Amino acid sequence: MMLYSEDLLGRQNADGGWSYFRGGSWTEPTCYALMALAASGRGHEVEVRRGMEWLQRCQRPDGGFAPRESVRESTWVTALTLLLPTPTGGSFDRPHAETWTVEQTGRESGWVFRLRLWMLGAGSSADSMSFDGWPWYPGAAAWVGPTALSILALQKMDKRGGGPISRSDLKKRIAQGRGYLLARRCRDGGWNHGSTRALGYDSDSYPETTGLALLALHGLNDPKVRQGVVRGEQQLAVCRSSEGASWLRLGLGAHGRPPLTPPIPNQASDGGKAPVMHGGVMEIAIAALAEAAQAGRNSFLDV
Amino acid sequence: MNPEKPLEPTRRAWTKASGLAAAGGVIAATGALESCTRPARLQAWAPVSIYRAATYSEELYALVRRIIAEHALDVRGKRVVLKPNLVEFDAHTVINTDPKLVHAALEAFRAAGAADVRIAEGPGHRRVTLDLADASGYFSTVPNFESLFTDLNLDETTRVDFVRPLSKLQSLYLPNTILGCDLLVSMPKLKTHHWTGATLSMKNLFGLVPGGVYGWPKNVLHWAGIPQCIADLHMLFPKTFAIVDGIVGMEGNGPIQGTPRAVGVVVAGASPVAVDATCCRIMGLDPTRIRYLQLTAGEQNLGEDLIPQKGERIESVATDFVVLPEHAGLRLSR
Repeated sequence: MMLYSEDLLGRQNADGGWSYFRGGSWTEPTCYALMALAASGRGHEVEVRRGMEWLQRCQRPDGGFAPRESVRESTWVTALTLLLPTPTGGSFDRPHAETWTVEQTGRESGWVFRLRLWMLGAGSSADSMSFDGWPWYPGAAAWVGPTALSILALQKMDKRGGGPISRSDLKKRIAQGRGYLLARRCRDGGWNHGSTRALGYDSDSYPETTGLALLALHGLNDPKVRQGVVRGEQQLAVCRSSEGASWLRLGLGAHGRPPLTPPIPNQASDGGKAPVMHGGVMEIAIAALAEAAQAGRNSFLDV
Repeated sequence: MNPEKPLEPTRRAWTKASGLAAAGGVIAATGALESCTRPARLQAWAPVSIYRAATYSEELYALVRRIIAEHALDVRGKRVVLKPNLVEFDAHTVINTDPKLVHAALEAFRAAGAADVRIAEGPGHRRVTLDLADASGYFSTVPNFESLFTDLNLDETTRVDFVRPLSKLQSLYLPNTILGCDLLVSMPKLKTHHWTGATLSMKNLFGLVPGGVYGWPKNVLHWAGIPQCIADLHMLFPKTFAIVDGIVGMEGNGPIQGTPRAVGVVVAGASPVAVDATCCRIMGLDPTRIRYLQLTAGEQNLGEDLIPQKGERIESVATDFVVLPEHAGLRLSR
C-alpha cells in the first residue's frame, strides 16, 4: 500500500490533479488517486489538498463535474467525487453534485423513448428498459459502469445523511439502479459494459465490469448476484488484466468472499498468466483500493 | 464520369462544402491543431488498390512499402498515426486488425521517411486498452509497443465544432494526437456490421472519439445517428489514407460476434469512401445501399466504374460474406 501511495504521489501533476498515464489532469484518475491516498491512512495532507483544489475547478455551475477542466459538460465522473471521504471532499459543493447525480437517467428511461417502444410493439417487455440506470454522458443511454458508480455514490449519501435528497428518494433510486444491473447481467452470470444481447446473440462479461457491478450489489441476497459471484471467481482465476483483477477483488470482497491472493503482476509463474501491470494511475489506485479493502477498509462502501 | 474531375456532389454535400468555404473549414477547432482537419475540396476518387496477401506473413512488410510507393504518399518529415480497429478480444474469432499488418505499416512509413509513426486507438467497450492490445498480440508483434501507442480514449482533447453536420452532433471533443498529425491511416478489419451493414475505414473513425469524455461505449454517437456520425467524422478527416485488413475478415454478426472468413486481400487508397465501396463489393454488399456511403457520397457517385482500380480486379477476389437476415437487402447482384 505504501508503495502504491509513493507511486501515486510521484505522478501528481503540477496543477494538483492526475492524468491517466501522462499529460493533463483528468477527474477520474484524480478521484481514484485521492481515494487511494485517503485509504492509505498516511495523511498526505498537502498533496490531497492540491488534488482537491484542482478537482474543485472541474465542478460546473450545474453542480456536476466535467471529465477534465477544458470540457464544458458535466458527466458520470460526478459520482466519483461523491465517493471521496467527506473530510477530503469538503471543498466542493457536494449537495449540488448530489442533486445533479440523482437527476441523471439514461435516455431510454424517458417517456418519449418508452412511448416509441410501446408504439413499436416492444412495450417495456425488454426487462432492461424497465429500470433507471445512469449514462456516461447526458442525453445517452444508461450503462453498467456509470450506473454501478452512481449506486455506490447514492449509498454513501444515504449513509452520511443530511444531504439535499431525502433518504426515501435515495433508496428508491438505488433500487432502480440495482434493478438495472440485475437486468443487464450477461448469460454467463457476469457483466460487460451493458449490452448483453446484440441482435439475439449473447455477449460475454468482462472482469472489470463484473467486479464493479458486484461492488454495487453488495449485501443483496439474490440468486443472480450469487451467480455473478461465481462468475467473478472464475474470471479472477484467469484474469490477465491487473485493473480487472483489482475490480474483481473489490467486488468479490464486498460479498464476503475470503481474501484472495492474486498472482503478482508482471511476474508470471504459471505459463504467463499473471496479470500485466502497465503503470497507469487508474490501475495503481484501484490496486491500492483493492488492497485496502482486503485489509478491512473498503473506500467504496465505508463512510 | 471522369475520375479526374470533381465528383458531382449531393445537394447536402454542396451545402456543407459552401459552408466550409464560408467558414474557412469543415470545422472550427479551438487552437491551431488543424493539419489533419484542413478541409479538402470535393475531388475525384483516388485509385483503390487490391493486393493479394494469403497470410499474415513477412511479405506484408514489402506489400505496405509498395502501397506507399504506388499511392505516392510523401510522408518525409511527417507525423503519421496508424489507427487499427481494436474492439474486443475473442480467441475464437478475428475481431481486431491483425498486429502483423500494423507493424508492417509502422516499418514501411518509417522507411518512407516519416518523422514519427504512432499507433493509436480508442476502443468502445473495454476500459483497459493496453490489456486488449496485449490479448490481440500487439505486444508480442510490435517491439516497444507501449511507447509507440496512444490510447485515444485517454488522450488530451480539443473541442471541435461541426459546421452543418449530418448528425445531431454540434461538436465533439477529439484527441490531440489525431488533430495534430499530418496523415491519419485508418486500418480496419474487413467486417460486416450488425447495424451499418459493413464496418471499414470510415466506421473505424468512431475509435477517435474519446471514451474519457463520452464513456464506453461512445453512446452519444448512436443517439446522434450512426451513419450520419460516420459521415461527419469523415468530413473532419477527409485526408485519411485507408489500409484494410482483408486477409481474414469477419462475416455474419460483425463486428464482434461474427465468423472468420478468409479473403486474402489488403485494400488501400487515399479516398476512404472509394476504399469502403470497393470493400463492400468484395464482400458481396452493394455500397449504394450502405447508408453512410449514401450520405457521404450520394448513390450516384459510388458506381464501380467511377472508382479507379489498381492491382487485382474485384471479381477475382470477391468473396460473398454471410450477412444477417436483416441485411439481406444489402446484397450485391453479381
